[in-house]
Amino acid sequence: MVTLDVRPQLLDTLSALRDRVAAARFPLPLAGAPRARANRDELLAQLDNYLVPRLREPDAPLLAVVGGSTGAGKSTLVNSLVGRRVSEAGVLRPTTRTPVLVCHPEDHHWFSGMRVLPDLTRVWVPNRDPGDDLLLPGENPGRVLRVETADSLPRGLALLDAPDIDSLIVDNRVLAAELMCAADVWVMVTTAARYADAVPWHLLRTAKEYKAALVTVLDRVPHQVVSEVARQYGALLTKAGLGDLPRFTVPELPESAWGGGLLPATAVAPLRAWLVHQAQDPGARTHILARTAHGVLDSLKARMPELAGAAAAQHAAALRLTSAVDSAYDSEHARVRSRLQSGAVLAGDALKRWRAYPLDCAAGELLDALVESLAALLLCAVTAADERVDDAWRREPASAAPGLSGRDPSLESAEHRIGLAVRRWRRELEEYAEDEVRELDRSVAPDSESVAALVATALLGGRRTKEAGERLAERVGAHGALRLRDRAGRLLTEHVDRVVHTERERRLAPLDALDVHPEPQAELIAALSVLQKER
Amino acid sequence: MTAVTDHDHTDHMERLDHTGEYAGDYTSGFDSGLTAADSAPDAVPEPAHAPVHAPAPGAAPDSAGDAAQGRDGTEGEPPADLAHPAAETENVPHARVREQREPADGDPATAEDAWDDGLIARRVTETSKPAVPVLETRGPGAPAPVPLAYDGPLRSRLDALRELVGLSRTRLDSHTLAEAGRVLDEAAARRRLSGQHTVVAIAGATGSGKSQLFNALAGVAISETGVRRPTTAAPIACTWSDGGAALVDRLGIPGRLRRRPVHNPEADAQLRGLVLIDLPDHDSAAVQHREHVDRILKLVDAVIWVVDPEKYADAVLHERYLRPMAGHAEVMFVILNQTDRLPGDAADLVLHDLRRLLDDDGVALGEFGEPGATVLALSALTGDGVGELREMLGQFVAERGAAARRIAADVDAAADRLRPVYATGRRAGLSEEARDEFAARLADAVGATAAGEAAERAWLRNANRACGTPWLRLWRWHQKRADAPTGRLQRPQPEEEATARQRVEQAVRTVSDRASAGLPAPWAQAVREAAVRGSQGLSEALDELAAQAGLPPGRPPRPGWWPVAVFAQAAMTLLQVVGGLWLVGQIAGFMAPNLGIPVLLMIAGIVGGPLVEWGCRMAARGPARRYGLEAERRLREAAAGCGRARVLDPVAAELLRYREVREQYGRVTRAGAGVG
Ligand SMILES: Nc1nc2c(ncn2[C@@H]2O[C@H](COP(=O)(O)OP(=O)(O)OP(=O)(O)O)[C@@H](O)[C@H]2O)c(=O)[nH]1
Ligand SMILES: [Mg+2]
Repeated sequence: MVTLDVRPQLLDTLSALRDRVAAARFPLPLAGAPRARANRDELLAQLDNYLVPRLREPDAPLLAVVGGSTGAGKSTLVNSLVGRRVSEAGVLRPTTRTPVLVCHPEDHHWFSGMRVLPDLTRVWVPNRDPGDDLLLPGENPGRVLRVETADSLPRGLALLDAPDIDSLIVDNRVLAAELMCAADVWVMVTTAARYADAVPWHLLRTAKEYKAALVTVLDRVPHQVVSEVARQYGALLTKAGLGDLPRFTVPELPESAWGGGLLPATAVAPLRAWLVHQAQDPGARTHILARTAHGVLDSLKARMPELAGAAAAQHAAALRLTSAVDSAYDSEHARVRSRLQSGAVLAGDALKRWRAYPLDCAAGELLDALVESLAALLLCAVTAADERVDDAWRREPASAAPGLSGRDPSLESAEHRIGLAVRRWRRELEEYAEDEVRELDRSVAPDSESVAALVATALLGGRRTKEAGERLAERVGAHGALRLRDRAGRLLTEHVDRVVHTERERRLAPLDALDVHPEPQAELIAALSVLQKER
Repeated sequence: MTAVTDHDHTDHMERLDHTGEYAGDYTSGFDSGLTAADSAPDAVPEPAHAPVHAPAPGAAPDSAGDAAQGRDGTEGEPPADLAHPAAETENVPHARVREQREPADGDPATAEDAWDDGLIARRVTETSKPAVPVLETRGPGAPAPVPLAYDGPLRSRLDALRELVGLSRTRLDSHTLAEAGRVLDEAAARRRLSGQHTVVAIAGATGSGKSQLFNALAGVAISETGVRRPTTAAPIACTWSDGGAALVDRLGIPGRLRRRPVHNPEADAQLRGLVLIDLPDHDSAAVQHREHVDRILKLVDAVIWVVDPEKYADAVLHERYLRPMAGHAEVMFVILNQTDRLPGDAADLVLHDLRRLLDDDGVALGEFGEPGATVLALSALTGDGVGELREMLGQFVAERGAAARRIAADVDAAADRLRPVYATGRRAGLSEEARDEFAARLADAVGATAAGEAAERAWLRNANRACGTPWLRLWRWHQKRADAPTGRLQRPQPEEEATARQRVEQAVRTVSDRASAGLPAPWAQAVREAAVRGSQGLSEALDELAAQAGLPPGRPPRPGWWPVAVFAQAAMTLLQVVGGLWLVGQIAGFMAPNLGIPVLLMIAGIVGGPLVEWGCRMAARGPARRYGLEAERRLREAAAGCGRARVLDPVAAELLRYREVREQYGRVTRAGAGVG
């Protein structure tokens, strides 16, 4: 027989693993992401609500969670097991929205604290009229756990009436899954009309996969057909490899139909006896605890790599997005450089100004035109890069993540930023020109603005403006001209690089904000292997 | 359930009488003919009687023999005959069908043979069932039923959808259009089949009592009901009148699963034309069952959803079926079954809750005479409320509108699904500002402003030079020699890359973004592609244009006062020279000393020269400005024209194509245009 022996190291590694799982994020909307998120939440719920508290405190009462479809009679069953109405039952589906936990009064302290199900608010109504509305006003019914006590339950056993798993209320389904994860014993309730439904069978299969201690109740079976339905259900279970499951049949009784009242004690006696036995017989109890706990521990072997795989997929997708941005900006950057080399800036207005210079055009005007033309070249490169990124991202499902999709709305501000950068370059260029002119002999010194305009023209006009270079040399000397050109050229490269870099970073910022890293994958796997060693 | 154990010929005769009574209600004799034939199989109590049974089909020879009686519509008769009047009032396809049936009309014996053929009466093996479901068969030569006719609006919507799909093939992938294509195919397929029949499927969760209800309506245990879940594994059909076989063929239901209801004159008349299908469940672990359901639900004319108090709020039912099919509310019945299992007034509570859920699903409820789903509570087991359903169903079937309404709802759903690729709810198109902005950007790219300014200044400079004092010109000339490489007003030689490529690219990108702003993605892409295609070679073309249209050809125009000014300036110079010479003459003693006049002349010349120059400069401003503006305008217009022809026109054409498609889409949607 398996037993539950817990060493502190195991608990430590387990809580380390739990933190890794809690840290895993799947923000990119990939095909497997919703599934991964659900798996992560489920695993986290199971670790927080069941495995860690159970291993810490093996003496806590056995928690049997009664789950199943809406209308399967879960509440009636719990009420009948307890012997009084603790949970509402009714004809409208689904009835139970607030989970109800029932335990012996002396066990109350185990559940009133936050040992298990820490994210459910506890509600406790000590003296309540049976006819009262069972919900407290102002409480969100979804995130509340009502704790009831009943002397009729033996010590060491707690029952939890969970919401349904398949009704229209999404919160119910989510909460039910969470509650099932907290169970030592899963009590799956189905009915004569439901026993072949697909949804509960998924749950049964999951329970089998996790090797949880499981018992099924075939409820609400009309008297006449009890044996036949029970036989058919049994056959289905056997076919699914669950033939050895403890199975109880509760007939439908007129007085109990549709939440009218309680089932007679005899109808639920076998189930009650079984539960009480599991809770009170030390051997059975240990066996059950160990089975469910080891089941969860074993299931980690498959679930952790699955999570790690999803984390890896996230990272790969993020990498693809990033590299699309990088390659778009890189190629546009290269294009800008070659266009600068070939003198593309000296075109349009700038070219006309240069042709008119100096007779019909002032140096300042020429410089203005050049600077504007340079800004246009940069803006064109940046928007072209953005367009390429959009094209590439359209093929990536991951790019649909909120914040990533859609064209950068700040195109205007890109224009603004580029304008600023280019004007700063101009100012620095003029300062260089002034420096150069100052060193010259006062009498022959040309005015610094025309020197700056000539440098800019020589720099931006490519081969077409050899003449500008010559004239510059005439004014500030060959040495001075060369030095000025070199400095201004370096300055230009610096500014262009900075502009492209800034825009690329801005494009990548929302993606970086999603914080998708390669580490979670490795950490999840590492946490699992440490745990394997500790067991 | 109604158990009919005994049929004899009296019953048969009674039935024929009954038919006669009803004949007036039917639009075609074809129908009543079928009724007569219908009753035949029911009249067979057991296989042993089959050979004797000839009289039943023999109803046909009887009636065929007595043509006059047949025309009166009092008896079953060869169908095509009375179909004529009905066909005449309807559209062309019907007429064609009539012609096809002509031979049968001419030769009653053929029809008779057909009726005589292949009628198999079979007792279902289950001994406990008192009634006898009859396997439905159809004689090989059975006349084709009158096909369905869609009304004008629906027809035009279907045509519009077909055209829309055709128009969009090049822009949208086949996956997007698949659903619309399916709807068109199904609409065409349904149209070819009987318009007299309404195919109604009973759907629901396992154990809801679908089969029980099916049997209750048929009056006989046709479909197996039981405690085993799930019970029904394949769809079963039950046809209330002949001619619906092709409809059942379409559902892929094999012959052994087709039955006839138990013979009951009243019920038959009520549900005439009904083809009822009992479906398997959609929620059990048996996946094939759900596949059956999904397949058949797409093909039937109407659906009866059976829910029970235990399962009526199941997510599968609402999320998988009712919500997506909310648009089909008009051809939907929602039946709360098993009310006998509910105590007291709980049935009302549950029914109310069910209505609320349906409302949440978006299913319109047919209350207070409004179109929508019919919601009923009944018990198929006790029969409580089944009569009411039968009545409603009878009325529903008699209207014969379900098939068309279903198709219309399908078209709605398909159109809805296509909405994102056709309509965005935003205005699309190229605004005048966007066009102007594009032209302005192109003008920037060729440098129109700078060119205009340069031309203006050059003109002004020339004017000043022409009208300036010679001394000033001399000085300037001297200056120029000292400062050699300046002053190059060379004509711009055609040079590569006079146009700013980056500005052209940006202009095209901006304008295509503007044009595609309000468009759904595929069409936006098309617009962008058109713009990019058009922009190829645009820069080179602008280069050429700029070279040609840069400056007005020939010498810059000169205003009329120019020669006068030149003359005046010359005169001033002459005055100075004359005055100077005079003075020199006096000094040299050639002339009588007279200082006054030559000095005055010289002063006049010296003061007048700059004065004239200044005046000319002032006067030249206007013409210079005009000259510059003219140069700028020529460049601007040339660039704008080039851009319009190469980029804006293709973009506008693409936008027009989208608008056409958008209008076509508006024709598909019921509302007509819709937004955007
Ligand atoms: N009390 C009661 N029982 C009903 C009613 N309708 C059906 N049943 C019972 O419910 C059970 C299931 O009925 P079926 O008709 O076989 O259900 P179904 O919807 O066809 O189920 P599948 O074929 O499995 O999809 C049978 O035992 C019926 O006798 C009803 O109105 N009241
Ligand atoms: Mg059935």
